[in-house]
Amino acid sequence: MQNQGFLQTKEIFAIVLMLVAIKAADSTPSLFAQKAQNGFWLIPIVSFVVIFPSFLLMIYLLKRFRDKNLMELIESILGKTIGKLISIIIFLFAFSTLTLDSRNYVEQIKVLYFPESPTIFIFFIFIGVSFFGAKKGIEVIGYTSWIALPIIKISFFTLIWLVLGSMVYERIFPIFGSGLPVILSEGVKKAAIFAELFFLLIAYKAAKEEAMFRKGAVVASIIAFLEIIAFYFIYITVFDYNSVEKIAFPFHDIAQYVQFGQFFTNIETLFMVFWLFAAYLKFIVFLYLIAWMFGTIFHIKNFEPLLLPLAYLVIIAGLLPFNSIYNEFVLRENLLMIMSPFFILLPFMLWFIALWKGELKR
Amino acid sequence: MKGHVFFIAIAMIMLTGCFDRIELEQQSYVIAVGIDKTEEEGQYNYTYQIANPAVGSAAVQSGPNEPPAEIVTVKGSDILGATNTANSFVSKKITLDHTKIIVISEELARSKDFLGIIQSGSRTPQIRRGVELVVSKESASDFINNNQPIMEQRPHKYYQFMLSRAKQTGIIPNATLHRFFQITEGDADLFLGIYATTMQSDQKDNGEQDQYIAGEIPQRGGSPTQFMGSAVFKEGQMIDTLTGEETRFSHILDKTMDMKDFLATMPDPVKPDFRITYDYSQKQSPQIDFTYHKNKPSTIKVEIPFQIEVIAIPSLVDYSQNRKGRQKLRKAIIQRFEEKTSAFIEQSQTQYRSDPFYWSLYARPHFKNIKAYEKADWHKKIYPNAEVSVTYKMDKLEFGKMINDSKINEVRD
Repeated sequence: MQNQGFLQTKEIFAIVLMLVAIKAADSTPSLFAQKAQNGFWLIPIVSFVVIFPSFLLMIYLLKRFRDKNLMELIESILGKTIGKLISIIIFLFAFSTLTLDSRNYVEQIKVLYFPESPTIFIFFIFIGVSFFGAKKGIEVIGYTSWIALPIIKISFFTLIWLVLGSMVYERIFPIFGSGLPVILSEGVKKAAIFAELFFLLIAYKAAKEEAMFRKGAVVASIIAFLEIIAFYFIYITVFDYNSVEKIAFPFHDIAQYVQFGQFFTNIETLFMVFWLFAAYLKFIVFLYLIAWMFGTIFHIKNFEPLLLPLAYLVIIAGLLPFNSIYNEFVLRENLLMIMSPFFILLPFMLWFIALWKGELKR
Repeated sequence: MKGHVFFIAIAMIMLTGCFDRIELEQQSYVIAVGIDKTEEEGQYNYTYQIANPAVGSAAVQSGPNEPPAEIVTVKGSDILGATNTANSFVSKKITLDHTKIIVISEELARSKDFLGIIQSGSRTPQIRRGVELVVSKESASDFINNNQPIMEQRPHKYYQFMLSRAKQTGIIPNATLHRFFQITEGDADLFLGIYATTMQSDQKDNGEQDQYIAGEIPQRGGSPTQFMGSAVFKEGQMIDTLTGEETRFSHILDKTMDMKDFLATMPDPVKPDFRITYDYSQKQSPQIDFTYHKNKPSTIKVEIPFQIEVIAIPSLVDYSQNRKGRQKLRKAIIQRFEEKTSAFIEQSQTQYRSDPFYWSLYARPHFKNIKAYEKADWHKKIYPNAEVSVTYKMDKLEFGKMINDSKINEVRD
């Protein structure tokens, strides 16, 4: 472990934002739009409202138990056997999320920018780069995220600014899309789009002080949520409901659509570079977190050598789905639906048990 | 030894980036794609206008008498598939990334197959959503072949400038593929495509500016291509054409279309033998007040703020300093606009049974979910029966830089 206690609030903030906010720019929106039509931008609101209390409760538990990360906490509350089991489930969830997401990102890169390269090559390069990034350790990751954050956000907001003229606000109406019940149920079922927040708690002790981690994570998750909403709102006001259902990668479609005055047309590559940068950072963080989880579960203190086999596994597992549509709309959707109740309920369960055992009184 | 292995490994990783490498000079950039019907079902003629990058560039000395563009036509079933066939006589890889317009013959636009063809085109990331749809009166390949711009020979600039200027004056609509899909898939409203032709067969000389569609404008000299008016699409199929003036009203009434200003004429209210020329501009989008009634006709109240600058008063009537004259002129302008707009709206209600103004947007807040909105049926029930009232509100009436015209009696003294 190369953790010298260097990370502070701002680095944690940047890491969380990298991990979660890029959901605004992948194909998650089209997953939602399939069900809720033009009400889909409300789904993350429901999801966030449902899952955020659980996240806060989890943070509260970590605060009370002090000096433990996610998995150590679970083990100390639930005992060794059940604790290990739950931890392994969480690891499997994280691993599957990483795998399916990475396939999704690789497909985006392939379809839009490298149509002739084979998927497997892009996959190897993509995860390979993420592996080298992750190998540098959590401090370098945190610092890199912090440096990259302004550039990435500036490019994203430039895109918003350029597309403002094409937005027609009336398109959010009829306000509930396919209906309020659909939005509520989808919001709860897909609450796991914020599951990364829980995976992140494995790094609870990464910061210089625990309070710094708490502050960074909570603030960043709120900002990431607002960013997701803002982008989804843009997608619906630019594309309208019948079109947004059909678009697999709305972020890139918008980047292709905008132009910078009459002279600078076809400027999507500019945005693609920063998007790719953000995507790399997300997977660097993610890869590091799953190695950390694996290390904690099996008491491997020096877990960084695990990165290479895990990265390799991600590639192999990621290549299994037959095509990108199946990957996104069947596998990823199912995974989200399984994870959502788990992460909503787990903190409450832990809290009750801790309360019942009297551990919170200390 | 170790160094060698390392070097090879690095090279292997780095060089995978070259999979999609293609040199600029190995690609030919298509600027305009034309699509025509053939006698066979499911087969279409695709015409590609390929730009010659060497022409018009200051950096490269162009070869002797190289034309600015190469035009080829091939048969195929879809837009990308045909590019491969075209490669049997085009030397480089045909790339559609820089396509500016898609030209469709009127014959094809009026057929049922049109939606399917254009859908398949949008599946590839090469065709952008900003590409404009142009409907040509003649076949699309004739249109592209006859189109010989004189001053602006580089085809991509020609289309860009031509369309953006014509749009600013409101005689052609904003007709991107993006808008086409939104309106067609939204199953409400009418989409307006750009109407153009290179054949000037039936020229009309009716004295009124802009009541033309392409091909009718009396013109001498210049490029034979006329962009004027629009092709009306209902549910992905062309049903009619609009004149330049009608297209302008669509611009005025639609807040999603941008129009700068236009010049037009009207009979002089004091001396009807003369005509007054004015410049119309609209700084704000129209206020549209939609009230939905479930069982009786809905009401749509439209208020349009606009500004007028009078440019020419050949009758030499003193409007600028005479208060009564000014009011008379103001009333005449407003009345003229209101009458024409109402007539156009009525035409759309009875003839097309839908609107080219994207007004369904204003109906949407009245519904809670899409099911209810689609059931209320904009095309069939809401719009054709709606009671529409139009009011124009003049914000400004300017008279240019001259305070007054010279008094003709004194001049001819």
